[in-house]
Amino acid sequence: MKTNVDVQIPLITLVGPPNSGKTTLFNILSGKNYKTVNYPGSTVEYYTSRILSRYNINAELLDSPGIVSLIPESPDEKVAVDSLYSHPKLGVPDILLTTVDSCQLSRHLLLPKQLISAGFNVVVVLTMTDILAKRGKKVSESKLSKELNCDVVIVNGRSKKGLENLLEIINSKIDRLNEFDKNKITAYNSGENNKTSLGIFYEIEEILKKVYEPLNPDKKIDLVSANKELKVLKEEFSNDGFSPDELTLKIDRILLHRFWGFVIFLLVMGLTFTSIFWLAQPLMILVDELFTDLNSLVVQNFKPGWFTYLVSDGIISGTGSVLVFVPQIFILFLVLGLLEDSGYLARGAMLIDKPLSKIGLNGRSFVPMISGYACAIPAIIAARTIPNRKERLLTIFIIPLMSCSARLPVYALLIAYLIPKDKSWLGGIILGGIYLFSILTSVVVAFVINKFRKKIFTAEESSSFILELPTYKLPKLSSVISHTYNSSKQYIFRAGPIILGFSLVLWFLTYFPHISPQIETNGMSLGQKQNVERSERLEKSYAADLGKFIEPIMHPIGMDWRIGVSLISAFAAREVFVSSLALTFKVTTDDDQSQNTLLNSLREAKIQSTGEKLFTTATTAGLIVFFIFALQCLSTVAVSRKETGGWKIPILQVLIFTSLAYIMTFITVNGLRFFGVQ
Amino acid sequence: MRTAAELNYGEIGIISEIDSSHPSSKRIIEHGFTPGQTIELINKSIFNDPIAVSVRGTLIAIRKCEAGCIKLK
Repeated sequence: MKTNVDVQIPLITLVGPPNSGKTTLFNILSGKNYKTVNYPGSTVEYYTSRILSRYNINAELLDSPGIVSLIPESPDEKVAVDSLYSHPKLGVPDILLTTVDSCQLSRHLLLPKQLISAGFNVVVVLTMTDILAKRGKKVSESKLSKELNCDVVIVNGRSKKGLENLLEIINSKIDRLNEFDKNKITAYNSGENNKTSLGIFYEIEEILKKVYEPLNPDKKIDLVSANKELKVLKEEFSNDGFSPDELTLKIDRILLHRFWGFVIFLLVMGLTFTSIFWLAQPLMILVDELFTDLNSLVVQNFKPGWFTYLVSDGIISGTGSVLVFVPQIFILFLVLGLLEDSGYLARGAMLIDKPLSKIGLNGRSFVPMISGYACAIPAIIAARTIPNRKERLLTIFIIPLMSCSARLPVYALLIAYLIPKDKSWLGGIILGGIYLFSILTSVVVAFVINKFRKKIFTAEESSSFILELPTYKLPKLSSVISHTYNSSKQYIFRAGPIILGFSLVLWFLTYFPHISPQIETNGMSLGQKQNVERSERLEKSYAADLGKFIEPIMHPIGMDWRIGVSLISAFAAREVFVSSLALTFKVTTDDDQSQNTLLNSLREAKIQSTGEKLFTTATTAGLIVFFIFALQCLSTVAVSRKETGGWKIPILQVLIFTSLAYIMTFITVNGLRFFGVQ
Repeated sequence: MRTAAELNYGEIGIISEIDSSHPSSKRIIEHGFTPGQTIELINKSIFNDPIAVSVRGTLIAIRKCEAGCIKLK
């Protein structure tokens, strides 16, 4: 960014209330080629981009989070407002583009009025005039410009009509930048907030009387309709603006119906939830197969040695475990993006607010929690939308309890082991039960943590839920997809290096120091030979030492060091547990029946010291319980640290969830044994 | 004195004042709830809380305890 300062490229910052068409304008000006910048030391995130070259404006464009007013309420809002005054990397904005929904001038003019009186170089961009026209009205640009004493331009986000005018205004502003004195920008008066805001609203009401005009003043009108219009006008003036969109009210009669509204909400969320699994499943299998094939390709074609295994088991499998979740995360963001763009997500937050507030959460916690069922990492990042810090931290705290998709392969294996072959339908019921159980436990944990919140979260703020319910509209697929693409990319670059890094460390621990085991390999195929070598190597590796070290802890829950090793490996990514079990229990085939072979060798496995059967119903059920609770994902810990701004919460999460997992497993295993289930 | 929290379905009220001692009063005003404005209760959620109120042509979802500081004429 330093070069930008050197050549003095003007900075144009986009600012506006939520739902004012700000992102649409940003997409038009940037051509969707944006990158994200984090405000140092915080979670507030911005998009920046150069203005598209075809517009002939050489300027940096910065998109800021939507704000209602210049007086911040939460810490995140404070950062957003502060960056308007001076962004630490990009400096003071030369021009502020402020988007305003022309149907909502009555509310949306508050922010531009505040910005103008603070001394910013403001251009007001009026959006959604096509919707206003449907109501037979228009806004006079020139009159509004005179009243506000700043440039006003109408831009249609769909047809791009009016964009030329905006570009012209920006260009002439850039030419006259030397006339604008940045030092004259003053901090917005924060004393007597309510009175000042009220004063501005009275001014806005006066302005509105002047700037709204009928669309067709010359239209011939007969007396009856004239009377009707007069009546309408009278009603509207008593309302100081407009009544809400008719269609939206009609839809809300169903979607926000007292009873059916909630039923529909549960259905929509259920569908969202299942789509994460069903739609993504074939793609995930494809990614998984691709990397498995790539792995064996490397092993077969290169000389066996530590470097070949570093590439195949370390780098390729590590990359695979990052990318295998991309389809799911992409679909999750896509579905949530469509719901958000249509206006439904805000309603969902409203419907679920009451039950969530009982356990110290907020209606806005809901989307992050649902996302947690795909992967905790994007879910923790999504918690940024919760303005209240305490509620945000509590949401982040319980997200690791949401049963993320990495646990699915583990559950699948263990359930397959538990149920008799002729009763495969039982598996679905058990899996459903596991998910239900994980929802219930997260509610209980949130409730308990909320009781101790004063000790854990130092922030003490009053809880609040005031949310605009936007007008329903058809989601704009192209912008949702480009946003989804960017969010998925963010996941890969944020979580990817961490997961890959830990996979490499674990590869090292499971490979060294016993790198070339001497074993009898007569009569074995190449694949079998390699698998035997791998398990021999693992048995004498550092990871095995570690596993034997924790064996005293594993014993009370009926397990031995081999499961211990697999549990440790699962810290890189939970699904690694399955392949690690396969290694430790010497599964010596490499055909498609590997799960069956794994199941068989699990059935035969015995605890070495006592000779008892290792995988009994009790211990397998115990393992499932362990995976429900344990925070076995180092990427989650890293993201949690970053998003909460310290080690306190991630360390508490690891300690509480892992010890909870251990205790619950202990209770499950020994409880089942007590009742005669082995 | 009645407040916005006590509105019935479809009932219209005119705001007389906002209780500025409430911590959310600032945010409530910034969303356009100012004295003299007409508001209407549009929907309630299944648990009766939050409620959806129309003000200045926009629907706002607000918790009942916060709507309680919007005093009506």
